[in-house]
Amino acid sequence: MPESTSPATVGPGAASGPSGPNKAAPAVEEPRRRFVPTAPTGMHRLGKALRARPDVGQVGVAALVGLLGFAAAVQVRADDDDLLNRARRGDLFLILDGLTARGDQLEEQIAQLENDRRELLSGADSEAAALEQTAELAQQLAVLAGTVGATGPGVTVTIVDPDGQVGARTMYSAVQELRSAGAEAIELSGGDGEQVRVVATTYFVDDDQGIAVDGVHLEPPYRFTVIGEPETLAEAMEFPQGVVDAVTGDGGTATVAQHDELVVDVVHQVTPPQYASPAPDDDSG
Amino acid sequence: MIPAIGLLLGILAGLLFDVDVPLALQPYLPIAVVAALDAVFGGLRAVMDGVFNDKVFVVSFVANVIIAAFIVFLGDQLGVGSQLSTAVVVVFGIRIFTNVATIRRHVFRA
Repeated sequence: MPESTSPATVGPGAASGPSGPNKAAPAVEEPRRRFVPTAPTGMHRLGKALRARPDVGQVGVAALVGLLGFAAAVQVRADDDDLLNRARRGDLFLILDGLTARGDQLEEQIAQLENDRRELLSGADSEAAALEQTAELAQQLAVLAGTVGATGPGVTVTIVDPDGQVGARTMYSAVQELRSAGAEAIELSGGDGEQVRVVATTYFVDDDQGIAVDGVHLEPPYRFTVIGEPETLAEAMEFPQGVVDAVTGDGGTATVAQHDELVVDVVHQVTPPQYASPAPDDDSG
Repeated sequence: MIPAIGLLLGILAGLLFDVDVPLALQPYLPIAVVAALDAVFGGLRAVMDGVFNDKVFVVSFVANVIIAAFIVFLGDQLGVGSQLSTAVVVVFGIRIFTNVATIRRHVFRA
């Protein structure tokens, strides 16, 4: 049907054909002729449009096309800025999952660290409290051990012994009575100015012209300076058959005076134990 | 000639000036660009078909952009904005392919 309905294209097609003696020639050239249009091609029209004289209508087209170019460029640049905007849904889910997991991890870490911090803080607090307690205890023990001076209410016991008849036994029993009455710090001074802090290891030995206390020679009159509850201490000295009576029996005189404020400033020199060492702590004991 | 220069100038301006897309326009600009692209390819095809008309091009360009943006806006209001955006992009994509196919036939005659 194209052969009979397209006579316009027959002319150039037949002219270009080099061989046209028989009826077979047009049938062979028919397909080629179909792509040789007589009307101007699209490219021709495009080229003509590009070369056309500018007119007002083109300005509007140019403005719109320019707007498109501008918008497209801006949009492309904006997308470049934001990776997440371009990411696909699956990628976004992955990113979100990762971030959530990371957030959970960090939350756990925060909780853990806060816990550690609390423990450390309370540990430091209890450590400080323990240190304070220990320091206080050490202070108290130091008073009892006689390694520091002490001050407080107490009594003085003055034993005047002109005949030198008050011996170590009496002095020792006096110290025992004072201890059992709650004496916390005891100082013994002699008439010759020597002073001794009476502690747990203190011993009394009869000596020529007096007594030896911890190896220090003391001469009468002796004077105890005792820190403790004054009335209890005084009663412990003065009860019948007690220290005062014993001193009187030995031929001396003992006077007890109560004071609101006494100072024991002689300290005991501690020598490290040579044989004994602290036994290990036994929790079950 | 003038439209080609206009396109070049527009792209250069968009690349050179650092313009931030306003937040209110952000969902609509890509759709508007696709719609305008369809209008431009349609215009090119019309030029090659020999039926190009300034007025038709301007009207179709503006109408494409406005309707595409309106559809997306409507979708946003209805809660199906992303789906409608996809629909608009698909439709314009098909049209662009059709137009480009015609242009291709003009250029390569195949």
